[in-house]
Amino acid sequence: MGIYGEYGSYLSRIKDDVMNKLSVLNQRELDNNQTKLYEHLIGRIKAEDSMVEKCSRKGYELSSRSALYECKDAIGIRVVCNFIDDVYRSIELLRAADWCEIVKEKDYITRSKPNGYRSYHLILKVATPYPSVDLNDAGCYFVEVQLRTIAMDSWASLEHEMKYKHNIRNSKQIVKELKRCADQLASCDVQMQTIRQLIHEND
Amino acid sequence: MRILLAEDEKELSRVLVTAMHSKGYSVDPAYNGLEAVEKASQGVYDLMIFDVMMPVMTGIEALKKIRAAGDQTYIIMLTAMSEIDDRVTGLDAGADDYMTKPFSLKELLARLRSLERRSENYTNDVLKFGDIVLDSSEQRLESFNSISLSAKETKLLNLFILNADKKIDSDVLIAHAWENADDLDQDTLWIYISYLRQKLQSVNAHVEIQGEKGGPYQLVNTNGGNSNDSEVSL
Repeated sequence: MGIYGEYGSYLSRIKDDVMNKLSVLNQRELDNNQTKLYEHLIGRIKAEDSMVEKCSRKGYELSSRSALYECKDAIGIRVVCNFIDDVYRSIELLRAADWCEIVKEKDYITRSKPNGYRSYHLILKVATPYPSVDLNDAGCYFVEVQLRTIAMDSWASLEHEMKYKHNIRNSKQIVKELKRCADQLASCDVQMQTIRQLIHEND
Repeated sequence: MRILLAEDEKELSRVLVTAMHSKGYSVDPAYNGLEAVEKASQGVYDLMIFDVMMPVMTGIEALKKIRAAGDQTYIIMLTAMSEIDDRVTGLDAGADDYMTKPFSLKELLARLRSLERRSENYTNDVLKFGDIVLDSSEQRLESFNSISLSAKETKLLNLFILNADKKIDSDVLIAHAWENADDLDQDTLWIYISYLRQKLQSVNAHVEIQGEKGGPYQLVNTNGGNSNDSEVSL
């Protein structure tokens, strides 16, 4: 039995349920003649060995409680949007939703990480019909949601490639160019958002 | 700064070279107009100082040849006190400034410092206002975050920062940022102002461009209270 223990089998179902709820939010926007909330969703369950590594790194004991309650990203969902406004619209809808509670947020869009990373991270606490690791908090699971634009998502993929490829030549130069590229993509995102607002100025 | 000095009086030339060297400038002396033209065509200089009355080729002729070759280096002419025509001819032929002989070394060195300030601090370097930093050579705006700017956005913001708090008319902004201002209308300027506004907002700056469509526009420091932290724990 892995680090998720008896709870491991529920994680995938919870992930699908939350993704389903996000698509319901999207459909409701479309029904109200709004533009779509996001371009696509991706979900993943953190691999057991990555979770073991994370718990050890953080000094937590290797238990299901650490993996599901101390760490809050066993279930991860990425919401990839067309425009920056859509990211914030999605966040507001999640804030208003009755099936989840936002317990933590990090805005790396307003303040990017020094390397240029931009994204908006939320930790959601969701109520589920499944048994949960904390008996006082029946049915509770945590889900990490990362919201970003397509441009931010492409950048993160590129940065990911660099991070996991060791001994790159001119790595200092590459890091600098990645940062510059992040600033240029942010510029395009803001430019597209501005044009969009000018188009809809008189709506 | 690299300086080309053309002065035929050997003694005066030696004094000037020594004085400028002592302030850290690198100076190439030439002793007539022709030599100055030859040196200018080969070397890279930040400043040229030419005496007008020189053998072989006068300073004015040298100036004309250098300008005709497309060289835009800043040039100061040294003219005799009485010769107003020399100064007018020199300025009209493309000189940027003149000094009348006899001049004080102190004044010459002060002019060099002034020129250095203008080229280093006022044109392409880094400008700060409120909590924003504009790096014009990198075309980058920074505050709590950073973002790239287009060439025109950079020019506009540069002018705004140098004239912060002033109400600037659209015509002035258009003439500054667009080379061919004739076929440019208010709408285009408005789009660029909108880009800049959103970019200022996206780097979390406490600096705003105020003004309605059509202008005038004004860059102001809003400096409103504490800045937000990126991490909000509920």
